[in-house]
Amino acid sequence: MTSMTSRERVLAALNGQPVDRTPICNPTSVATVELMDLVDAPFPDANRQAEPMARLAATAHTILGFDTVMPVFSIIQESSALGCKMQWEGKDNWPTVRMSEPIWEHADDIYVPNDLVDHPDTKCVLDAIKLLREDLGPDVAIIGKTMGPWSLAYHCFGVEKFLLLSLDDPDATKDILEKLKKVTIDFGRAQIEAGVDALTLPDHATGDLVSGEYYHRYLKDLHIEFAKAIPIPLILHICGRTVDRMGFISETGMAAFHYDSKNAPGESMQEVEGRIALVGNINNPETLFAKTPDDVKAEVYANLDAGVQMIGPECAIPLQTSIANLRAIPEAVHDWHARH
Amino acid sequence: MAELTDVQNQTLRDEIEEYLERPEEIERFVALFTGARPRLQEIAAAIIEGDDDAVDGLTAQALEEGIEAIEIMDDGLIGGMGIVGIKFRENFVFVPEVLSCARAMRAGMAHIEPILSASGVEKHGTVIMGTVKGDLHDIGKNLCIMMLRGSGFEVIDLGVDVAEDTFIDAVEDSGAKVLGMSALLTTTMPNMGRTIEAFIDADLRDEVQIMVGGAPVTQEFSDDMGADGYGADALSCVAVAKELIAAAKAA
Repeated sequence: MTSMTSRERVLAALNGQPVDRTPICNPTSVATVELMDLVDAPFPDANRQAEPMARLAATAHTILGFDTVMPVFSIIQESSALGCKMQWEGKDNWPTVRMSEPIWEHADDIYVPNDLVDHPDTKCVLDAIKLLREDLGPDVAIIGKTMGPWSLAYHCFGVEKFLLLSLDDPDATKDILEKLKKVTIDFGRAQIEAGVDALTLPDHATGDLVSGEYYHRYLKDLHIEFAKAIPIPLILHICGRTVDRMGFISETGMAAFHYDSKNAPGESMQEVEGRIALVGNINNPETLFAKTPDDVKAEVYANLDAGVQMIGPECAIPLQTSIANLRAIPEAVHDWHARH
Repeated sequence: MAELTDVQNQTLRDEIEEYLERPEEIERFVALFTGARPRLQEIAAAIIEGDDDAVDGLTAQALEEGIEAIEIMDDGLIGGMGIVGIKFRENFVFVPEVLSCARAMRAGMAHIEPILSASGVEKHGTVIMGTVKGDLHDIGKNLCIMMLRGSGFEVIDLGVDVAEDTFIDAVEDSGAKVLGMSALLTTTMPNMGRTIEAFIDADLRDEVQIMVGGAPVTQEFSDDMGADGYGADALSCVAVAKELIAAAKAA
């Protein structure tokens, strides 16, 4: 097969078409302190200004050798635009939403401005995407990110309060999700206009918190709607144990599911039955952060042996993860393909 | 030996029959509830059902009937949460249900805690609890704290986003022998290791037993970070804390 560009490879994998080799992707952040230093793009600036955001995002391809770049390192840009109380932190800590100080209490409190994408913390993402396309050209895949309504509800209502509400008042819960989906769609579409090739859609109905039945009850139909309303390959991201809901996820029409190391590659591939591509699932805190490149490679091989369609870390990586361990991912992919 | 049919409360019998599989746990809870007063079995059942209004009313009633506060807590509230903890561990229920049951337990503890505090009952020891730097999640930590306090521990809650220095200061100021750290994000888990290293650098590592927990945390991670204990959930957090307090006293 003719050699593909990174972008061709990633799009082919997302569209279920043949590839020259398995793409190496980061649907979530691979930003590290080391990379920030190399390109002078530290947090919090890289989370709030387009130029350092693009500079840092580009390192996924230029330094680490991934086929993708993804400039939205955090999961809070939209929450900031909605008015959540933010903690932007410094270089070696993640920005976060003060969920103990939620901005809303009831579904009726929800207000999604029509100009959400013009807020500085969402606009910088759009500008960073444009800068990346200018700087990297047409051959690298740019993945954007738009948060799903379940995750947004955590930020805006507080995790504990929202989870209790989901039990106490399912109708109010559905109302909240219905109202918040505008954020997901508006920000997603704006990133398509800016030039992304695909979008990660994190929606944290993780098995560590809620059941697979919850996913089916509250989110599956919304995710089907997103797959239709956002005209680009979508990569759903849910952390934690998710095998019990992979069947439902496979029915959403999304292009790929970014899955966590708590789910074995072989079992996960069996569960999705080829109806959705998988991306993952290299362990972050134990392998990428704390072990050796050989340990990283072993997990890459396990995914490739199982037929996983795209390889990458399982989630946003710890900021102190070494470049050497991150580079081990593409090294392993190339090595595996040379032997098969 | 007591049999399941000896448990008077139908809900409790059904819960044990349907959700408990380990023989030692079945034996423990059958023994507990067959020995428990009917009113306390009602409280335990209401805890499992997450019925905070019922727990509130039944606890008040139990006190009016002259049942000792500590007996109400042990047999009713903690007994019920024990079943909830097993159901959570085995994935029969998830966090929303556990939160609902915890809300019910708090309704009962609102009556019990003032009585126990006033009675001067000796605590097992002091545990410092906090979510690590960069992490603002506290559901798991708060469930652990509730169970620790209910089980007779004094708990100092440092909240969320706790820096290494804050953990160190809390240990030095309180003399607590057990520290518990929580994280819900794989990105913040490494801060557990950094905190442990900070204790080593401050020459305080031998002064405190450190346990870790949180959804993404594993025994392997705990061992690699140099923690003394790992709790997979709020119930095992109590068991680990008891072991570590004993270890600290023996040292």
